[in-house]
Amino acid sequence: MTSFLKTKVKDKFPDLNRHKLKDYIGKWILSAFRLVFLISISYIILYPLFAMFSFSIMSKSDIMDTSVTWITKSPTFENFKIAWEALDYPTSLLNTLLIGGISALLEIFSCAVAAYGFSRFQFKGRGLLFALVLFTAIVPVQILVIPLFLNFRYFDVLGIIGLINTITQNPDPVYLDLIDTPFTFWLPSLFGVGLRSGLFIFIYRQFFMGLPKELEEASWIDGCGPFMTFVRVVIPSSGVVFLTVSIFAIIWHWNEYYQSVIFFTNTFPLSVRLSNALTIFETLGYRNEGAPPLVSAACLLFILPVLIMYLFMQKKFIQSIDRVGIVG
Amino acid sequence: MKKDKNTETITIAEGSSATSVKDIIKAEKAELRAKKREERLKKKQKIAYDHRGNIIPDLNKKHVKGIESKKSMYGRMFILPWCIGMLLFFIVPLFESLWYSFCYVEVAPGEMYSVFEGIENYRFIFEEDMDFVNNLTKSISSFFTSMPIIVIVSLILALVLNGNFKGRTFFRGVFFVPVIVATGVVMTLLTRSYGGYGAIVQLSAKSAEDAYSAAGTTSGMDFSALLNQLNLPEDLTAQLSKMITDIFNTIWTCGIPVVLYIAGLQTIPAQLYEASKVEGATTWEEFWYITLPMIGQTILLVIVFTLIELLTQSNSLVINQAYTQMIDNANYYHSAAMLWVFFAIVGTIIGLIILIYSKLCLKRWE
Repeated sequence: MTSFLKTKVKDKFPDLNRHKLKDYIGKWILSAFRLVFLISISYIILYPLFAMFSFSIMSKSDIMDTSVTWITKSPTFENFKIAWEALDYPTSLLNTLLIGGISALLEIFSCAVAAYGFSRFQFKGRGLLFALVLFTAIVPVQILVIPLFLNFRYFDVLGIIGLINTITQNPDPVYLDLIDTPFTFWLPSLFGVGLRSGLFIFIYRQFFMGLPKELEEASWIDGCGPFMTFVRVVIPSSGVVFLTVSIFAIIWHWNEYYQSVIFFTNTFPLSVRLSNALTIFETLGYRNEGAPPLVSAACLLFILPVLIMYLFMQKKFIQSIDRVGIVG
Repeated sequence: MKKDKNTETITIAEGSSATSVKDIIKAEKAELRAKKREERLKKKQKIAYDHRGNIIPDLNKKHVKGIESKKSMYGRMFILPWCIGMLLFFIVPLFESLWYSFCYVEVAPGEMYSVFEGIENYRFIFEEDMDFVNNLTKSISSFFTSMPIIVIVSLILALVLNGNFKGRTFFRGVFFVPVIVATGVVMTLLTRSYGGYGAIVQLSAKSAEDAYSAAGTTSGMDFSALLNQLNLPEDLTAQLSKMITDIFNTIWTCGIPVVLYIAGLQTIPAQLYEASKVEGATTWEEFWYITLPMIGQTILLVIVFTLIELLTQSNSLVINQAYTQMIDNANYYHSAAMLWVFFAIVGTIIGLIILIYSKLCLKRWE
């Protein structure tokens, strides 16, 4: 060990003296500490994932066996099969993609538009409206859920449909029933008040404020309108922030549960299915000891698509976070 | 009318030289006032005059407003969709829910009645619902215990991750995993299904009692069993296992704060550190006089974000209680009242923290 160290040190510092050696050893110890620290914390973070993996391929006999802790003796994929059916995986995956994916896409753009308005233009009441943006981020969803449900059940813009009903004297008033359709998520996202939009608008605004104004001014002088400037100049030069926001938006829509469980009565997305999975397993006869492997398998199936997406985009995403500079 | 009077006084002043200087000054003032009034009238009509009082035709066309007002119009157009959406999907539901919290609400399939009842619901949740006050105090106190821990621990983690070393990207990637996994139903499901049995419960059990009762099971990181074997007093064992549980929970909530901190740390210009090195500052001094003041804004952001996360997370006791009331018992009026009380308290806390923090820390650091 020491000889290895010496050669390494000599390679690095040809004119070595005692002080430099001390310095180098100190740094080495520090980095070793750092490594141990980070690895132990990574272990805590990854522990549930590892547990999920190892549980999900355990058979019933492994669970009963006290000698089995991590590595199963008889791996099976039976758990995945049952979980697949309980989740109704293909259908609910499609539902999630349809609901969450499209509304994440809408949200990414609508929030960017609103944030551009807040960051580049002066107008009366801007400060107040931006305070409202932050306020929307603070209010918990749970407060809004039931009124939103009623609004979507009897959907009506500015009382137009109600007016038609009163004019035609319809004894059985007709309303648009948006419950159980993806519109419950699409519409708020389209207007930039969807899931955690307040936070997204804040991140976008912070980034747009840091963009140099000269580019936009040049495009104004060249005859681009503000909207064309936004599309042609601002969006191409802020790919970083778009990446950050889209990852957040996709993940949060994927995990969204509180609103989905109320808004959807038949076409369930994955998260709702997953929350019902435990009771399904219980009715299938997998109680107490039998449940963990199945639940692990179901959870793995649930997070797998997002995890894969994250693994592919991880490096870019982390670089982009460095460069976005989300500062208060 | 008045104008005529003024001219009269002037003629008088000219006519009789015996009148005092005071009158002359008075007359001059009156004349000035009249002029000002005229100018004001002209301004009101929004007609542009040149210095001779002639109307300038070009400036009175409607579209000539100046680039600034045009720009402000564009700004309004950019945020118009958001304004509409906020009105429809935020402000209206918000006030509706506030209204329901003062009502008796009956939801029948297809219909909904609400009868105004004053503060009856609030009286009920405070006086008759035993659990609510208990849950509220627990939630609020957990706010104050876990918030500083999260803010400080994630700062330390971010400082470590921000250094230059091999495998930095890998560890950063790992630290973002909780954001993917923990925000959803997955964690609740895992803790629920492993309850009393498996491995994860020992790490993420909600209370010390759970962790303690789960001791003795076999698989995974069995801290409680390990602690039991040490033959320590029971209270101490419970406390220790609670602490370990808390470490797990804390690190799992640190995901986004760490990301925010790293983003903030990256914005500090490297020249500052170079300069301090030239001046001979130690690492400790660098931290106190450069790093901390430079990320003051980020710390505020992290504090607010953590509070929001703690407020809306699913295992908050009050939110849980209100939600089960809402979903299982269709008892929306009580749950609305609960949520509003909780939200009012937390909102004030957030406001106070922002105020105190910006007054005490940000001002001094600037």
